[in-house]
Amino acid sequence: MKRHFVSVVSGLAVLIAMFVTFGLGATPAKATTTYQVATDSTFPPFEFANSHNKYVGIDIDLLHAIAKDQGFKVNIKPTSFNSAIQSVQSGQMDGVIAGMSITKEREATFDFSKPYFMSGVVMAAKPNGKITKLSQLRGKRVAVKTGTSGAQYAQSIHKEYGFKIVTFDESNDMYQDVLTGNSAACFEDSPVMRYAVRQGTKLKIYTKPTLNGPYGFAVKKGHNQKLLRMFNNGLADLKSNGEYARITRHYLGAKGSSDTTSDRTFLGLLKQNKGALLSGFEQTVWLTVVAIFFATLFGVIVGLLGVVPNKFFNGLSTTLIYIFRGLPLLVLALFIYTGIPSLTGSKIPAFVAGTITLMFNEGAYIAAFVKGGINAVDDGQMEAARSLGLPFGKAMRRVILPQGIRIMIPSFINQFIITLKDTSILSIIGIIELTQTGKIIIARNLEGFKVWTIIAIIYLIVITLLTWLSNWVERRIRL
Amino acid sequence: MNTKIKVRVSNLVKNFGDNKVLKGINMEVHDNEVVVVIGPSGSGKSTFLRNLNRLEAPTSGSIVIDDMDIADPKTDINKVRENIGMVFQHFNLFSNLSVSENVMLAPVELKKRTKTEAAKQAHDLLNMVGLDSKFNATVQSLSGGQQQRVAIARALAMNPNVMLFDEPTSALDPEMVGDVLAVMKQLAKQGMTMIVVTHEMGFAKEVADRVVFVDDGNIQEQGTPDEMFNHPQNPHLQDFLDKVLNV
Ligand SMILES: Nc1ncnc2c1ncn2[C@@H]1O[C@H](COP(=O)(O)OP(=O)(O)OP(=O)(O)O)[C@@H](O)[C@H]1O
Ligand SMILES: [Mg+2]
Repeated sequence: MKRHFVSVVSGLAVLIAMFVTFGLGATPAKATTTYQVATDSTFPPFEFANSHNKYVGIDIDLLHAIAKDQGFKVNIKPTSFNSAIQSVQSGQMDGVIAGMSITKEREATFDFSKPYFMSGVVMAAKPNGKITKLSQLRGKRVAVKTGTSGAQYAQSIHKEYGFKIVTFDESNDMYQDVLTGNSAACFEDSPVMRYAVRQGTKLKIYTKPTLNGPYGFAVKKGHNQKLLRMFNNGLADLKSNGEYARITRHYLGAKGSSDTTSDRTFLGLLKQNKGALLSGFEQTVWLTVVAIFFATLFGVIVGLLGVVPNKFFNGLSTTLIYIFRGLPLLVLALFIYTGIPSLTGSKIPAFVAGTITLMFNEGAYIAAFVKGGINAVDDGQMEAARSLGLPFGKAMRRVILPQGIRIMIPSFINQFIITLKDTSILSIIGIIELTQTGKIIIARNLEGFKVWTIIAIIYLIVITLLTWLSNWVERRIRL
Repeated sequence: MNTKIKVRVSNLVKNFGDNKVLKGINMEVHDNEVVVVIGPSGSGKSTFLRNLNRLEAPTSGSIVIDDMDIADPKTDINKVRENIGMVFQHFNLFSNLSVSENVMLAPVELKKRTKTEAAKQAHDLLNMVGLDSKFNATVQSLSGGQQQRVAIARALAMNPNVMLFDEPTSALDPEMVGDVLAVMKQLAKQGMTMIVVTHEMGFAKEVADRVVFVDDGNIQEQGTPDEMFNHPQNPHLQDFLDKVLNV
């Protein structure tokens, strides 16, 4: 009968393993004409969510127009610039269009289209005129955005001009750092900076565009050559039929397409972004629920493996807990989302990768307290049960677990709340949950304080509801 | 006395690492016999009892109970345990279950009885230990003495033919000891084969067919209560009795 119990446990373990391998191996059926293209979530005017939470911008409009011209379908997925690049390298995505400069280094791993835009790096600083040229940066901090040509430019001259570089993932954070005075200036692509200034960012551009570089659409080197050809052909068509000029003028012309909504009160912001916030909120809740389910399953199984009378399973349990508790959530998420696919060549949808990440990480904590809870039950209980002739599994189920679970309940509630909060970290792999939604809204309207306040309140409300629910369940179980 | 041998322990050795606790115990217990095991603290009395139902695995030697060799890997230890009841010093009642559920759990789980039969039997057993009124009570609401009597009922629910008692009254307030001993005496009278580790010398004198003195991992002396208490031979036994009887 002991064998019976062990086989139930290992059966469940196999299920989990199947879920994992299914997740890893799942190659979404590749529709012949729909290409998956990654883009940056916040790089106006090339890509940004407008006030209807719809992605627009030069890149987006160009790509859609080219797709229409060439007769293919495209699904544009906004994520951070870094993970957009990584997801193409790892084969998760077919191409990337994200205001990406064509550089020697990048050409080593990417095949670029013909340039579709010429850009250059400018320096922007506060408009008080204290910093107006590069030579005044000595000893100061300069803000750049990771992986951009502004960052590259800063790298190439920071020794010469003696400044220190600080990097940010989001443009808005970079501007904010200059506005607060932490950094003296920032380097940014000129169209982006121009657009931001017109949107109301209180910075001034002081230098002429330098390091003039072309932007290109990119695919993984040696892959998706057909897509690349179609892009080039389509681009040529748009340039000759005037569509290209129309699109760029729409975003960079004198009038521009600025965010004209002017109600910047809390209520106004809430109203304008209701749709985006709601869908971010839904994504967060959904991710939390699914993650809690699988993390609990994984955690309970691994925890039980830690207490069965079998040295191998005990060791396995300890090792799994050690590894997944030891890895930072962020590292685990990136490893699963971009690391594994670059090895195996098959894509993992971000949501699945996020769920697996949380399953392992939160599950490891759950396993630890499941094990601890069971071990906290007096040994005499198990001895008494076994002395009656009850097999290990029955003794566990009828006597030890019911007592252990009572000990574990507060830890479970705690872990569920932590899981909810940890979903915000998954914004890094491009899941547009609540936190990522906040970043996107701010990229457009630059109302950092108010939007983060709204987001924080939403989190607190959900956590309060979750706590109430948990307490209610706890009371029911104790009866 | 019936000559059928119920328990035969041959050359039982138990080490915990370097600590040699049992050094080759030989003992036979006959049907219906009540054996009381006495000895100083740490002499290995509990270890001896726990080897008999394999809560501890013997280092070497053999233990045969009802013609089943419990050291044999082919023996289903759970089946053997169903026939050996055990009562612990600290009761170990299942704290997540009510009094009746404690008594009914094993018979129902191991499919010896239906729920209704088990409930009827639980009433009978709780009646016997004088606690039928506590049928639906929680374990936490019982006094120590009551808990120990429920623990005896729980062990009896599997109809064991041997009962092991490991200092069943040591954790009890003095005024509760009598009730528990009374139940044990009644069991002995009904012919239960019992091995009892206890410091209750009164119980040993009155109920035991044989008293066994364990010291230093071996049986040093054994005999009838009269021989053991009135004419002890071994100087360690004399010492031990001086200590326990003159407190
Ligand atoms: N699980 C164990 N692991 C290691 N050593 C043990 C274990 N159980 C008992 N011992 C040791 O075996 C020896 C005998 O212990 P045991 O509990 O059998 O004595 P006892 O005669 O029942 O004593 P007491 O009258 O105090 O209950 C002691 O030295 C004890 O430390
Ligand atoms: Mg003892």
